[in-house]
Amino acid sequence: MTRRSFILAAAAAVLFSAVPIAARADVPVHVRVIKGSRRGPKQVDPRLDALRRQLSALAYVNWQETQERRVTLVKGRTEFVQLPDGDMAGITLQEERGTIATIEVALASRNTQSRLTIEKGQRIVHQVTGERDGAAFFLTIAVWP
Amino acid sequence: MTKKDCVRFAPMIGAREGELSEVEARALAAHLAMCRRCQELAARFARTDGLVAEALLARANARDFAPFVDQVMDRIGTGAPQGARSGRGLLGWVGRHWKGTLSVTAPALAALAVFMYVHFGGPGQVASLEISSQGVSTVLQTSDGPVVLLPPEEHPS
Repeated sequence: MTRRSFILAAAAAVLFSAVPIAARADVPVHVRVIKGSRRGPKQVDPRLDALRRQLSALAYVNWQETQERRVTLVKGRTEFVQLPDGDMAGITLQEERGTIATIEVALASRNTQSRLTIEKGQRIVHQVTGERDGAAFFLTIAVWP
Repeated sequence: MTKKDCVRFAPMIGAREGELSEVEARALAAHLAMCRRCQELAARFARTDGLVAEALLARANARDFAPFVDQVMDRIGTGAPQGARSGRGLLGWVGRHWKGTLSVTAPALAALAVFMYVHFGGPGQVASLEISSQGVSTVLQTSDGPVVLLPPEEHPS
């Protein structure tokens, strides 16, 4: 390999190793706590229209938003969300590649931990409380809302 | 007229103008005037000489020498050996070292292709993927993302 070839190879290596570094960033997320009920009128809160298709897979017919916040996830740093039953949900960005993010949802009191990979435009819908009186709470996380 | 004279003058027959001295030219002319054999030889040389000259001239005229100078100057200008790729600058260098360039850039291009695939892949290509879960009963995969359900709580009776 000539000296110029070596320089070109080194430049290419630096360039392409720099691409993931440049692409690495924090991930803004839209977090909502929603309540699903088996009873009541069949109705979805208009604010949850974007979730309608995912929610339709469940047995709950009445959906209402109870809490909403926008946060920016930083890799490895956990954001906590207070749940209606007093429990805390921890949301942690595990990995981010371009428009794909792996997020961990943890419920301390239930010893529950899920790591899920989604991409921009998708949402995590995660049950966070057990069902009581025909209703349960869910956490939804949309990345790059 | 002796055979010795013919041997002497025969090499002079067909000589170009200026090749013979004046004395030799006069002696040859005198010999040719008297020697029939050498006259025939001179006549044959003259016919052959004319034919060759005309053929060479025709061949030379048929060839186009117009770009000859430009071609030579180009070769001198680049200093490139015969058969080498021409061109200056980066493209010229790449053309001359295409194997090395290819071997260097191929891994980088492959990495770029993977990056583009992951970065710009459609929603259907990278569907919601559960990596691991603990304490979860069901994970529904939908095109909009995963739906994670907890197991039913055990109520004390």
